[in-house]
Amino acid sequence: MGNGIQAIHPFVMFFYYMCLGFFAMFFNHPIFLLAGCLALIAVNLSHDGGQAMKQWAPLMVTMTALIIVINPLINSRGMHVWFDFFGKQVTFEAMLYGVVTAMSLLMILLLFVSLNSVLNGNKLLYIFARILPRTAFLIMMSIRFVPLLKRRLTEIQDVQRLKGMTMTQGTLSERAKSGMSMLQVLLSWSLEEAVETADSMKARGYGSGTRRPYIPYRMTKSDRRWLSYLLVAFVMCGTGGFMGYGKIVIYPELGLLHLSSLDWFVFACGMAVALFPLFVEGREQLKWNYSI
Amino acid sequence: MGRSRKYLVIVSLILLLLLVVSIVFFHYRAYLLLSMIMIAAIMIPFFARFEWRDVGGREVVLLAMLAAIAAVGRVPFAGLPSIQPTSFIIIMAGLVFGAESGFIVGAVAAIVSNFFLGQGPWTPWQMYAWGMMGMTAGLLRNTAFMKTLWGKCTFGFVWGYIFGWFMNTWVIVGNIEALSWKYVAGIFASSIYFDLAHALSNVFFIIVFGVSWIKILQRIQRKYGLLYEQSG
Repeated sequence: MGNGIQAIHPFVMFFYYMCLGFFAMFFNHPIFLLAGCLALIAVNLSHDGGQAMKQWAPLMVTMTALIIVINPLINSRGMHVWFDFFGKQVTFEAMLYGVVTAMSLLMILLLFVSLNSVLNGNKLLYIFARILPRTAFLIMMSIRFVPLLKRRLTEIQDVQRLKGMTMTQGTLSERAKSGMSMLQVLLSWSLEEAVETADSMKARGYGSGTRRPYIPYRMTKSDRRWLSYLLVAFVMCGTGGFMGYGKIVIYPELGLLHLSSLDWFVFACGMAVALFPLFVEGREQLKWNYSI
Repeated sequence: MGRSRKYLVIVSLILLLLLVVSIVFFHYRAYLLLSMIMIAAIMIPFFARFEWRDVGGREVVLLAMLAAIAAVGRVPFAGLPSIQPTSFIIIMAGLVFGAESGFIVGAVAAIVSNFFLGQGPWTPWQMYAWGMMGMTAGLLRNTAFMKTLWGKCTFGFVWGYIFGWFMNTWVIVGNIEALSWKYVAGIFASSIYFDLAHALSNVFFIIVFGVSWIKILQRIQRKYGLLYEQSG
């Protein structure tokens, strides 16, 4: 996991994902969204060769296909009628709207796939610990409890199986009952434990000062440079978006799909943001291969 | 305590209203973006109160443990599709420890389980829906209605549906230009079975396990004197 993007400061990465999420939900020009999806696919490929993306692929493909197919069938707004489908008018507008919505959702899903692999729990909580320290601490502790509780649950299951309580046999209500009984054992066991954990935390000085993160991420010079680069590109792109570039009118009648030169400028700024992880990786590669 | 409770209700209602109004009246295209911002804004006061309130280490650990149990509760039920005890555990936490703790347990359980199942645009919606489930359980716990078994069962049943409908709205908001009665009805019809299973499993768990869970939680509360301050 030592590649370039992992070394970037969490704040910079978080800002990058916020920008991209904003683009995905803000722009609705199909070319913008398509380019955004492609850029994110490339970014995901650069993380791990598309391993994580493969897991999500079935969900993403079905969701995209469903929206594209269903929208024109249930919705016949728009002026340009394409063909009749069992007495229902399929319009070009509804078709395009389905495509745009599907791509926007796809882009958000791709973004989260990348986010899950780059901003792992530790980094995400580092960001939120600045804003909501206690909540972040609570969440972090809760995440730590999950593997512990799973271990305890297997132990409980092993013991209860000897008593004849299983989740695999019996009627639905019997199985649900035995599952809940196990959770009840887990509850009374773990709540007592929780108080003990809290007392030992207190003995070691919890609450005696502000908490600092376990891994101190430092904002380096290059982090700051990347952040300002992202900021500039995002502001230009956002201003263009608010002035109406990069967006099209679909309902009630399709507007022009043509891109003016200013549209292309906004597009270039958007791509400069979206491809940022690739620039980071590319720079690393260049340094590795060609520096003396 | 009465003031903070009123504050919670008013703020959450106003912001929810704002969400609906803005979606209906704003001639603004980025509905999904807007709804995400709204959901985040609705939850900020709750988390802010949790940050500012005087909460001891024991209470924080207890809340974390409850949220983790609610998230892990899905594991033994993996073999029984669409039956999961998370909502039941959140309702119990709200009933015993109060509205604010109920919200925190619900919202954190949603984040934590999604750390293992995958975060996505649905995370904030789930956080809000489960948080509200815990909060309303806490708000209504002293009413005569919720003291009866029937009241609790009705509550669990109704929330099974509200939760499903709320999760449906995120799909609808994401595709709002396609809004038509047929579309909405289709989405709601596709979730009827899951919502019913959710509602019925809530009722089942409340009937069979409600009393003993409340007893266990109250015992911890009394034994260690925890999370009493909001029980006003």
